[in-house]
Amino acid sequence: MNDILLLIKRSLINILRTPAATIPNIAISVFFLFVYNGGLSSVSSIPGFVGSYLGFILPVSIVTAAVGGAGSAGQNLIKDIDSGYYTKLLLTPAKRLALIWGPMFAGAIVLLVQVILIIILGVILGLHTATGIPGMIMVALLAFTWGMAFAGYSVFMALKTKNAAATQAATFAFFPLIFLSETFVPSSFITVKWLKIAANINPTTYVFRAMRSLILNGWEAKPLLIGFAVILGLASLTGFMALMAAKKSTQLS
Amino acid sequence: MNNDRSISVKKVSRTFRDFVALKDVDLDVPSGQIFGFLGPNGAGKSTLVKILTTILAPTAGVATVAGFDVHTQSDKIRQHIGVALQDVGLDALMTARELLLLQAQLFRFSKSEAITKSERLLKKVKLETVDPKKRVGDYSGGMKRRLDLALALVHDPDILFLDEPTTGLDPASRADIWEEVHRINKEDGVTIFLTTQYLEEADKLAQEVAIINKGQIVARGTPSALKKEIGNEVITITLEDPNAATQASQKLKQSFSEQQISGHELSIYLTDAAARVPELVRLLDQEKIKLNGLTLSQPTLDDVFLHATGERMTEKTNTGE
Repeated sequence: MNDILLLIKRSLINILRTPAATIPNIAISVFFLFVYNGGLSSVSSIPGFVGSYLGFILPVSIVTAAVGGAGSAGQNLIKDIDSGYYTKLLLTPAKRLALIWGPMFAGAIVLLVQVILIIILGVILGLHTATGIPGMIMVALLAFTWGMAFAGYSVFMALKTKNAAATQAATFAFFPLIFLSETFVPSSFITVKWLKIAANINPTTYVFRAMRSLILNGWEAKPLLIGFAVILGLASLTGFMALMAAKKSTQLS
Repeated sequence: MNNDRSISVKKVSRTFRDFVALKDVDLDVPSGQIFGFLGPNGAGKSTLVKILTTILAPTAGVATVAGFDVHTQSDKIRQHIGVALQDVGLDALMTARELLLLQAQLFRFSKSEAITKSERLLKKVKLETVDPKKRVGDYSGGMKRRLDLALALVHDPDILFLDEPTTGLDPASRADIWEEVHRINKEDGVTIFLTTQYLEEADKLAQEVAIINKGQIVARGTPSALKKEIGNEVITITLEDPNAATQASQKLKQSFSEQQISGHELSIYLTDAAARVPELVRLLDQEKIKLNGLTLSQPTLDDVFLHATGERMTEKTNTGE
């Protein structure tokens, strides 16, 4: 546990000392919130749409921030691999899990700060949430876990490719994940069959549904449980892949 | 408590696809010695260091460090070794104190112990007066090397691996590192496995050396014994071109059997050099071979390398081979 805390602290120091790498990610998620809310809010006047569009689109901004923030975990690891510092860490008795959880948790902590900022901005823009502060804590928790899942993927790609460009390119998986879903309109509004199928098998859909239920509807067990189950499943899978890659990188090759 | 500070390498080979980086390497480094592992760029030095420091597996053979097998007991080995690799592995965004503190804590020292250790090590490598807020990325090459050495010493290792610790450093920084390496070995009894491409470095520091070329050990022993083996003295004659060197070699072969050509130079190893210079000059004169220069010296490790491989290590190093 001590190793993990030490390496989270070190990753956080790194993040704080390179604000140029974090600020654009915050800016882009705020940008998405403004643009989507400004450009698409008339969707809420279509018959059948329930609740405010701001509340509907806020999770898109949060999930975008989560993906961008989590991607930094892989980039930070690549920086360590390139500088040779990762090898130095491998030669210490630190647990292999700590070596990957350090950057992953640090990225997720930064993400939490981003999510809080986005929610505050939403409130300033007139957001009313159905579940209040406890519900928003739950939204932040969903975002944190989702961020960890994506960080696991990004770390896995970093360890697998050991290449910054390849790790950056791997985060492009974000585009189908975010856009082949109920991103801008509820599922009942999607009429194209293939997009409906894609949205149903896309884990992001269940993250959106869980967050939206908390913001727009109130405490609903089903979307929340499914949302957490999907995210935890995904986080376990990517976390396992990252750990295996880390263990392989410490085994004699 | 494990007091074994030795290294043993038996028939170790390592291939990368078709490239043979190491072939049947045998080495024994006794406890408490500074062992110089000498060779030009690409000879296989770093590959062996990576195997002994558990970063890379051998393709064949057995190696033990501090009595533990590199393949099956790598965790135990890591607790006994300190490593400063050729590429200095530092986090440029951190300060020296932050890195030392983290390293010490990862080696299970309490925070207060880690602070004490960090300060002591900073003093040891003469970095204690550097601005504490200065990030490592702003350090000079020599400062980075010294910090890397301090990080390798954080857990008081029994064996220290230094992979080309002075490459690229100015003479003053190099001398600082030499002094520190010497002190660590003498005062703390640490076995030091030092790879270098600088002959002077191996000559100055190492009690015993092994010379590697193209993945194979070509000579080993104490520097003085190795030099003695090829003769007490060396006459080096410089000729106009390599053809003249070959011609001279053939003419002198009967009277001077121990010789080696390197480009337009011919080195002759013998025991009574000064007395035999006139004979040598006369023989060359008979063949009308023009001399551009003649030097008389004690053999160096470069001569040992030349004798073993037919090439000068200094030339291979300079041409980046």
